[in-house]
Order: sequence, then C-alpha cells, then structure tokens
Amino acid sequence: MAILIRRLEEHDEVENFDCGDDPLNNYLKRHAWTNQEKISIGVTYVAIDEGAPRVVLGYFTLAMASVPRETFPKKYVRGLPHYDLPLVLMARLAVERRFAGRGLGRALISEALRVSLRAADEVGCRCIVTDAYRDRIGWYARYGFVPIEGAAESGPQKMFLDLRTVRAALGS
Amino acid sequence: MQIQGKQMAQKTGAKRIEAPAIGRPRKTKFQADLAPAEDRAVRLLKEELQIASNTDFLSDALALFRWAVSERKLGHKIVSESASGERKILLFPRLERVAPDLALPRVEIKWTKRELESLAELASAREADGPTDVLIRAMRA
Repeated sequence: MAILIRRLEEHDEVENFDCGDDPLNNYLKRHAWTNQEKISIGVTYVAIDEGAPRVVLGYFTLAMASVPRETFPKKYVRGLPHYDLPLVLMARLAVERRFAGRGLGRALISEALRVSLRAADEVGCRCIVTDAYRDRIGWYARYGFVPIEGAAESGPQKMFLDLRTVRAALGS
Repeated sequence: MQIQGKQMAQKTGAKRIEAPAIGRPRKTKFQADLAPAEDRAVRLLKEELQIASNTDFLSDALALFRWAVSERKLGHKIVSESASGERKILLFPRLERVAPDLALPRVEIKWTKRELESLAELASAREADGPTDVLIRAMRA
C-alpha cells in the first residue's frame, strides 16, 4: 500500500468516507470542494492509496487566518509585531476508520506542517493553530502542540505550534 | 424636465425644522434636473410600464433600487438569465460599495480574552520550544 497525499480533486470519492465523526465526514462531503475551489478559504489535502487513487482515506484542511493586533490585551502585545498576527489554521484532520492506527494520521500531520512551512516561507506566518477534540489533545501534544489556555471546558481545545519548532525538527 | 414628487402636505420655514403632525405622514418634495436623453428614457419607461405619474415612477424605481442594495448587502449577486440559460451578472459600481467585505473570503476564529492572552504569550516567545522526538521523526521520515 503506497500512500500519496495531494490536493483534493473534483472527482475524488468522498461519499463513503467515514472517520466516525459526522461533522468531519460532512465537511469533506459537502464543503471541502466548495471552500477550496469556489470561495478559496481553505485547501483540503487527501491521503489516497496509489492502487485506488480516487478513494479518500484521510484528509486535512488548511486555511490562513490572522488575529487583529488590537484584539490582544494591551499587557501582552509588547512582544508581538506591530501588525496583525498571521497564522495557519489546521481546520480539519481526519482518518477513515478502517485505516486508523496505521500511521496515516502521522503522515497527514507531517504533510500539513510541511505545507504550513512552505506557506510561511512564501507569505510570512508565525504559527499553526488547531481546534483539537478533547480526546485528541494528547495526540497533538506529542507533535509539540501546546494548549492555548482559556477554552471552554466542554468544547474543542485550541492548540498552538510555533513554526520555528517545526523548522527545527527538519534540522534546518 | 423636472421629476417632482407629491407636494409637501405641510410647509416648513427655510431653516426651521418642525416635527410632523401626528397621524399625517410628511411627504418630501424631490426634484431632479434631467438631461434630454434621460428625460426621453423616463418618458419611454413610463409609457412601457404604464406609469401615470412621476411620483409612481420614482416610487417603483426606489423599490427596485432598495431591493438591489439589500441583496448586495447580503453578498448576493444579481443575475439575469435568458430562456436559453445564458446568465449575466449585474455589476453596478455603486452597488458594489455596499458589499465590499462580503466579497472577500475569510476565516474567522472566535477567541476568548484568556485565549488571546495565552496566544500572545506563546507567539511572542523569544525562542520557540524545541521539537519533540515524535515531531522530529515525523518530519524527517
């Protein structure tokens, strides 16, 4: 089985995708293509087996976002640049249930971080942020994501990863 | 030609503002100087639409304009479609002024005050954390 990760294409088979989470399934089936090709707010990358190159086995979605400088509490803005804070939002990451536990998640997140580094090199960006389900916080923490304090106790946990950390992991 | 609405029901002084009488809606006089070509266009439209008065003409035009503005404010496009399915999108510069932001795609993240504090602390760190072993293995694989 040779896994390839590439941009979502129009005729990819997504209707049978099931990661066990309805919002993540529905995003891929209903919104990913529109958001990527029609309104250009996020790009979805899919993992496929080269033997069945249309069947989506996992995916992640990246979008650019920024936090306006004036929204930060004044006490904390000293160390920040005098501009809005640009960041990459890893908006979704999911693996088909049948392929869970086979390293597909690791392949997806490492590709997401490589794409984020390229984006940062091209247009400038400090960090990557994701909303992690509570039961996935530990998984993201293994890759260096740090919880952003202050989230509601029941909702997803925002997590932060400095892109300098990712660059250091590449040994560059 | 002058386009003129109904006469004001209540006259006011030149620089004096008076509250309208209760129960008697105030009507505003509207006057416009039209070029001959525009004058002809108005007369032709009134004939085609069988509109008798300038007041009714203005009222209908206003209703159409208000609708167009409200649609563009919502970010909707105004499209005409022919019987064969050919579509044309109305691009009217003044209308575009009311919906500039909606045309721009964007991703919004909702932050609590404490999250912003935490994010600012993390993002302003002089040095980033070192990579974990798992991250190193993943990135170098």
